[in-house]
Amino acid sequence: MKKKNIFLARRLTGRYASLWVSVIAILLTIVTASILLLIMGKNPLTAFASFLQGCGFLAKENYGGGSGQLTDMLDFLNYLTPLILASLAFITAFKAGLFNIGISGQMLLAGFTATVLVGYNKALSPFIAKPLVLLIGLIVGGLTGVLVGYLKYRFNIHEVVSTIMINYIISYLTGFFINNYHVDMMTRNSKVCTPEARLTLTNVMIGDMKCKIPLGLIIAILIALLVSFLFRKTVLGFEIKAVGQNRRCSEYSGIRVSRTILISMGLSGAIAGLAGVAYYLGYTNTIIPKSLPSMGYDSISVALLGSGSPIGSIFAAAVVSVFQQGSNYMSSSLGVAKEIASLITGILLLFASCGNYMKYLAGRTMQQTSEIASQGSSRTAPASPESKEAKTK
Amino acid sequence: MNKVFTDGLSFALPLLIMAVGALYSEKSGVTNLAIEGFQGVGAFFGALAATLLAPLMGNGNQMIIYIAILCAAVGGALFSCIHGLLCIRFRANQVISGVVINILSVALTAFFTSAANTAINGTASNKFVLDVSARFSIPLLSQIPWIGGLFTNMYPFEIIIIVLVIILWYLLNRTRFGMRLRACGENPQAVDAAGANVIRIRWAAVMISGALSGIGGICFAYSLIGNFSPSIYQGFGYLAIAAMIFGNWSIGPTTLACLVFGLAKSGGLQLCIAAGLPSNYTDLFLMLPYVLTLLLLVFFSKKNHPPKAAGEPWDKSKR
Amino acid sequence: MSEYIVEMRHITKRFPGIIANNDVSIGIRKGEVYALLGENGAGKSTLMSMLFGMYEPDEGEILIDGKTVTFHSSTDAAACSIGMVHQHFKLVEPFTIAENIVLGVEPVEKRLGVLPWVNIRKANEQISELSKAYGLEVNPTDRIEDVPVSVRQRVEILKMLYRGAEIMIFDEPTAVLTPQEIDFLLQIIDNLRKDGKTIILITHKIAEIKRIADRCAILRQGRLIDVRDVAESSVQDLADLMVGRQVRFTQDKAAPNFRDPVLEVQNLTVRDEHKFEVVKDVSFTVHGGEIFAIAGVSGNGQEEIADAIAGLVKAASGKIILNGKDITGEPVRERCLTGLSYIPEDRNATGTIPDMTLQENLALREYYKEPFSKKGILQHDAFRRYADQLIETYDIRCAQGPDTVLRSMSGGNQQKAIVGREIEEQTSLIIFVQPTRGLDIGAIENIHRQILQERDRGAAILLISLELEEVMMLADTIGVLYRGEMLRIDSAENMTMQEVGRYMMGVREA
Repeated sequence: MKKKNIFLARRLTGRYASLWVSVIAILLTIVTASILLLIMGKNPLTAFASFLQGCGFLAKENYGGGSGQLTDMLDFLNYLTPLILASLAFITAFKAGLFNIGISGQMLLAGFTATVLVGYNKALSPFIAKPLVLLIGLIVGGLTGVLVGYLKYRFNIHEVVSTIMINYIISYLTGFFINNYHVDMMTRNSKVCTPEARLTLTNVMIGDMKCKIPLGLIIAILIALLVSFLFRKTVLGFEIKAVGQNRRCSEYSGIRVSRTILISMGLSGAIAGLAGVAYYLGYTNTIIPKSLPSMGYDSISVALLGSGSPIGSIFAAAVVSVFQQGSNYMSSSLGVAKEIASLITGILLLFASCGNYMKYLAGRTMQQTSEIASQGSSRTAPASPESKEAKTK
Repeated sequence: MNKVFTDGLSFALPLLIMAVGALYSEKSGVTNLAIEGFQGVGAFFGALAATLLAPLMGNGNQMIIYIAILCAAVGGALFSCIHGLLCIRFRANQVISGVVINILSVALTAFFTSAANTAINGTASNKFVLDVSARFSIPLLSQIPWIGGLFTNMYPFEIIIIVLVIILWYLLNRTRFGMRLRACGENPQAVDAAGANVIRIRWAAVMISGALSGIGGICFAYSLIGNFSPSIYQGFGYLAIAAMIFGNWSIGPTTLACLVFGLAKSGGLQLCIAAGLPSNYTDLFLMLPYVLTLLLLVFFSKKNHPPKAAGEPWDKSKR
Repeated sequence: MSEYIVEMRHITKRFPGIIANNDVSIGIRKGEVYALLGENGAGKSTLMSMLFGMYEPDEGEILIDGKTVTFHSSTDAAACSIGMVHQHFKLVEPFTIAENIVLGVEPVEKRLGVLPWVNIRKANEQISELSKAYGLEVNPTDRIEDVPVSVRQRVEILKMLYRGAEIMIFDEPTAVLTPQEIDFLLQIIDNLRKDGKTIILITHKIAEIKRIADRCAILRQGRLIDVRDVAESSVQDLADLMVGRQVRFTQDKAAPNFRDPVLEVQNLTVRDEHKFEVVKDVSFTVHGGEIFAIAGVSGNGQEEIADAIAGLVKAASGKIILNGKDITGEPVRERCLTGLSYIPEDRNATGTIPDMTLQENLALREYYKEPFSKKGILQHDAFRRYADQLIETYDIRCAQGPDTVLRSMSGGNQQKAIVGREIEEQTSLIIFVQPTRGLDIGAIENIHRQILQERDRGAAILLISLELEEVMMLADTIGVLYRGEMLRIDSAENMTMQEVGRYMMGVREA
């Protein structure tokens, strides 16, 4: 037992500590979820296998006409795309010490605006419509982000509170417009957008399988690389990190803190806007009125699980997507409510947020082991004069 | 006009009890954004108890409501232990912890509501339907012109909340526990040096905030929605926190802020009806409390003084 | 009956990375003033924190009145009549004096026989009486945030008396006081001794030990070096024992050579967030080659003056002129480029970003310029080269070189890094605020030498220090600040320490 502690401690204090935290969090989550499934009388192994089958990582026993493992895989990527973007949005603000809880709202507003302005315009060619959709996502999301940053530095309003308020405002506002002007009477959702504007190509035949191709995935990976570059190599990234870690010292060293906050919130919002269009004009092509996408919150789990690394978040997003996207198949094949996917994500988040404590414990364990090793020498110190005095009394 | 006051109060008071919960936690030095989650989980426990008890005690039995409120308080307090564990024991970032708990609570209640419904009546419904709470008017007071509406058609829980808030004010401002709790949020080192247990006081404060939020949650479930469903998560927890911020972490002004929110909400809705607008337009008026919150925050946030040690994990061994 | 009221035997205490106390044994007699002498980090405070129950020793035992005791918390220690005044006062600012004193031992009564409540009025009366009895006048209903440091210290002493402490520990009690206030405090300590109390005094100031203490234990690097009768030891002896080598008490200071004015502050007023004027109509000029020191008790507006000059707080009115250029409304970076560098008081909150690496912290003034970045892209090898160079020049000790995370370095080395970074800018004005706070003697000497070197290079130095000895030793010109007002500005030769001390307490006509 002792030995194993040291094994873990060494890894948690080493160079890849953050990676190990994520691995441990995932393992703990799998254990917890397994216990939960066992209590419900299900076989955890089958359950986890069916999550993977639902995402095309493992083959299902049988497929319907026109679909196959590749279809599932591409559906999974289609879901993954906005999630990667959303988590990058969270990371960009988080590096500046800001909690952008408003990603849901920024996604919704960007998706709504792009749908209304481009998605319903049948005259546009796809080569104009698709870039336009991305541009609108960037601008609308970015402006919403800037507003939050402005409220933060000008009026000292905590971004968590302001983003939540803005989330609900956006939700009701877009809900009002959808219900009054753009509603599809059959589904009660917004009318679907044109295939020209949609960022996912649908009904593409690969072999005999009907597939969806998420074009946004390329953009998501590109943005991940860009964000990574921003924080590793650029002056702006350095300033954002400085502001996030010590605002007062940043001010002292001449960084214009308010401007940096605006920029990072703006960037965060802009990326969230991209996530929004990738979600509403890609993954789905309709908007449910008055409903904030839960992906905005899942992105926080992803960012935490990827310990704030842009590249790490691609993999973390994949883990979370497996649970979210695979839950339908798991639910139908095992008969467990599909809400368990959110529950597993929540548990994952819980363990991931203990990462610092894990590292702290590991640091302490390492310290203790090194002290035990060095204690022999300190014990043999010569007794000081007064200790002799005390002994004689 | 009467309806504005009646509905306003029935919205303001659950909000108030949640705001006082947040206040207790923050005054002890634990930043608490998890109110939203606490109230949802508390409401879940209350609604579950009500659903289970209804066949035993007979539908429409008003006793059930009181038991539900009690269960909501206990459930909220138990769930708040996660926040305590993360913030006090594991010294996690308190803002992250709050957000994590809110996300987790939505997932937890959604999952267990459908699991419980499957077990009870075989349908995987995502809501517990609640009985209608009886309401009453206070004689004489309800006859007062203009403000009579405040005392008309009251829910029994409104009285409970008013009494609780008075007790909580006394506890915080006049007793030994309250004095130490407030000191913990300003300078935990001083409390420790004076020989009191900072960790225990903070745990108590977080659990009190969980219990109070739970009460707030079940009251919303009864008054506003009439059932327990995911629509309990409408950001009321955050509104409560905003009210606490206007109230400058003090119970009196916080009460005032909650009343303003409540009246703005009910007033907006009545205005919409009075203006003869179609029901589609209610969405715009439902937006009002959130817009108002943002605006008020713009004016009041700058000169606020949150408890000095809020957000800082307490580490005795730190030198 | 034991000879000692307090005995600590073979005490060892380890913290991650260091051994704070290593087999320390001391015995204290009833009714004496027992001093613990040692440099910062010698383990004095840790030793006393164990006596006060805040930590438990890893090894060794504590005896009170000859009986072995184990303290799990300060409550246990208080039950044995031990009290402590900490270096950083443990006071709740928005609470009243009385509330602070009774915290933890509140007089609880039952209202109407049932409702428990804290009878604060009764506490107010008790405290009034107690404070009169010991000559520690305070008004129990004042809020701590409104009273000055010296009164706060009285509150801490009253806290011990209220709890009936017989053994009183004072941790560096004079660090924040003026000479006159120190006299007053030592008088109080003497009264307490006459009253039969046992006093333990933690300090690194030998002069005070000579004035008040009966015996003195010297600690160095966690070990007990010696215990001396104070009357039989000389100041030089004690100093050499404390540091472990010969100590020089003075710096060689060349005669100043004033040049052109570098910094002119004209009628500067700064308001805090409550619109209260923390700096009132302050004017002064600092020349090249001059050390201008601002003396004053903590919290009289010194930090605000420094922050206003550096651009961290806004000036409500007045003008700040640097190198002939009006910088009053300029942003921080513009001021730095005009020729300002600043060693702030709080190393971790203002001076550094503790979670970043040493090389990043060292480049905080330069990172946006070539060669550290080109067209907005950081050049990491330039960071590393620059850090290597500064580590060498300023003897910064760091475990992993430029990649060391700043937080993991010792306070002294963090300060070296900040001082190195700021001096390296070769600016015409350098502001030092409390540059030697919490450092040991070797590091202090080092920083004093650097300050003088910079002056002799021709830089204008604005030195803000709470240590009056430091001000007297280094300054060419002294300005004394009291409640935001500059009461007197004069050449250092024209003022004695006692005089400066009187101005620091607000006496206008000395």
